[in-house]
Amino acid sequence: MIPTNEQIAELIREDSVHKSVYTDPVLFKLEMERIYGHAWIYVGHKSQVKNSGDYHTTRIGEQDVVMVRGSDGAVNVLYNRCPHKGAKLVADGDGNVGKFFRCPYHAWTYKLDGQHLSAPLKSGFEGTCYDPKHADFSMVSVARVDSYRGFVFASQASYGEDLKTFLGGVITSIDNLCDRSPVGEVEVVGGIFRVQQRSNWKVFYENLHDTMHARVTHESSVDAARGEAEAIGEMPFELLIMDGNGEPYDFWEKLELRAYTNGHGYMEAIFDPAAAERDVVSREHFECLKKAYGEERSREILGMNRHNTVIYGSGSPHTVFMQFRVIRPLSVDRTMVEIQTFRCKGAPDSVFDRALTYANVINSPSSNVMPDDVEVYARCQEGNMTRGGEWISMHRYAGKDITLEDGAISTNGTSELPMRNQFAAWKKFMTATIIAKESTHAA
Amino acid sequence: MLLDSTFDINTTKLQSVNIPEETFRSIEKFLFKEAKLLDQRNFWEWDKLFTESGMYWVPHKHEQDNPFDHISLFWENRMLREVRIRRVENSRNWSQQPQTQTAHLVGNLIVEGVDDQGHLVVSAVFQITEWRLKLRQLAGRYTYKLATQDDGDWKIQLKRVDLVNCNDVFENLEVFI
Repeated sequence: MIPTNEQIAELIREDSVHKSVYTDPVLFKLEMERIYGHAWIYVGHKSQVKNSGDYHTTRIGEQDVVMVRGSDGAVNVLYNRCPHKGAKLVADGDGNVGKFFRCPYHAWTYKLDGQHLSAPLKSGFEGTCYDPKHADFSMVSVARVDSYRGFVFASQASYGEDLKTFLGGVITSIDNLCDRSPVGEVEVVGGIFRVQQRSNWKVFYENLHDTMHARVTHESSVDAARGEAEAIGEMPFELLIMDGNGEPYDFWEKLELRAYTNGHGYMEAIFDPAAAERDVVSREHFECLKKAYGEERSREILGMNRHNTVIYGSGSPHTVFMQFRVIRPLSVDRTMVEIQTFRCKGAPDSVFDRALTYANVINSPSSNVMPDDVEVYARCQEGNMTRGGEWISMHRYAGKDITLEDGAISTNGTSELPMRNQFAAWKKFMTATIIAKESTHAA
Repeated sequence: MLLDSTFDINTTKLQSVNIPEETFRSIEKFLFKEAKLLDQRNFWEWDKLFTESGMYWVPHKHEQDNPFDHISLFWENRMLREVRIRRVENSRNWSQQPQTQTAHLVGNLIVEGVDDQGHLVVSAVFQITEWRLKLRQLAGRYTYKLATQDDGDWKIQLKRVDLVNCNDVFENLEVFI
């Protein structure tokens, strides 16, 4: 039974949520329609499809889509389905289809924007409704496709706010990621990790700005990094990025959490304008940017020291270490994370080396940090299947955040503001009035 | 630095070599001993099998050229191997409760040749049955660069692990493969 909007709204309180939002397959299916069927979702970066015919497959919610570079240079996002018998036109992954898509089943072909090109033995269609110009015989494009500084997003709804409005203030994180290149451009390089988690997709979003878990969940990797640093007498970058989770509570309390409309937000590390002069990589990076932007602007760019950003429904860019953890829901209790690493065009090689090291050490399936996260997410998933309670607490600093025109800002870095903000967006999408799709048949 | 591109990862451009049967047997024994140390979770002793500069590498891409311009599932020097050992042995290692258990099967040993520094390069196929909450199969080919020791034994300068599904979607890989 599909719950009414009133029933859905009752699952979300100001300071808590009902556990069924993580465990109910009916709600998951509704999320795929009402959130992933409407919101702007990150598909991929233009650099993944450099040349005409290059494609990259991924998912928008439960939908298999293919991002493809058209012959006119535009990036198209199409459902990966041949309109003849329904076969997926390309295998999952990356590649180049050439000048057109050609179905491996009956050789129907489509232009790179999905338009029907041809089918063999056309005489067989004489006297039928077959019409190469009718939409029924072309690949279907996702309703809206737009991009911002190379980041391609798509919305499965033909209506609703535009991409920039949807992103709102969180767009500054995309800007900062790109501005770290002296030419203002980044590209996805070096391969993409894919990690599966045994938990609902929303837990990961919540955890990204959950400062209270760091020193508890990650005690094993913090201890390991500190023990090793003591043994070798230094704390190199690889250990430092594991050690950070062990900061005491008063460190986390001082951080700023910013929440934007639509569930987005970021968690700020302590502003440190001197950071550029500390380590060799940052110094080189600063010198390079100074030539392009001048000293003041470069300091501003590298001084914007954000930890995880959340683009709700899409995932989490990390602007300093040049990552994008793209979060793809698979089922109510399975989630896949695609981890992209970026190269800042024109920046010193050491900046990319650092990004690659961060990906290997922190985001790889072999990470020493992530397994403990993944384990506690799975324990939430399993614990919430018991009869041991109905509600999930988000009480920390509830009612204490400062409301702003486009979201809110925390008064304490351990606030559960990000979770409350994400569920406000969840409720908005899940209870919105849905405009029915128009349908036209060729006949 | 970890991404020091001067580390010689070449295991394909080699001088051919003929080794006596007893040397072949000693390599086989060495690899079986290594597999047993992993199965016993005797990771500190396992780590001692590496030379001081020895690297443990699990590429993310089939026929990956190097760990310097592409991500790797593992690219670990002694420091990072020790961090991993310290973590999986920590009492608050939530994701190792219960622990990962493994059984390694190593075979099809082939002597590939000798590299520029005189390391003997050998390869072997492996099958690993891994259990933590459920069973998982891992399989592929190991390629080793082995350094001879004064006592006639071997040390590992490079252990390269090419998984058949290296670029797959993975759940966590917590222990050494």
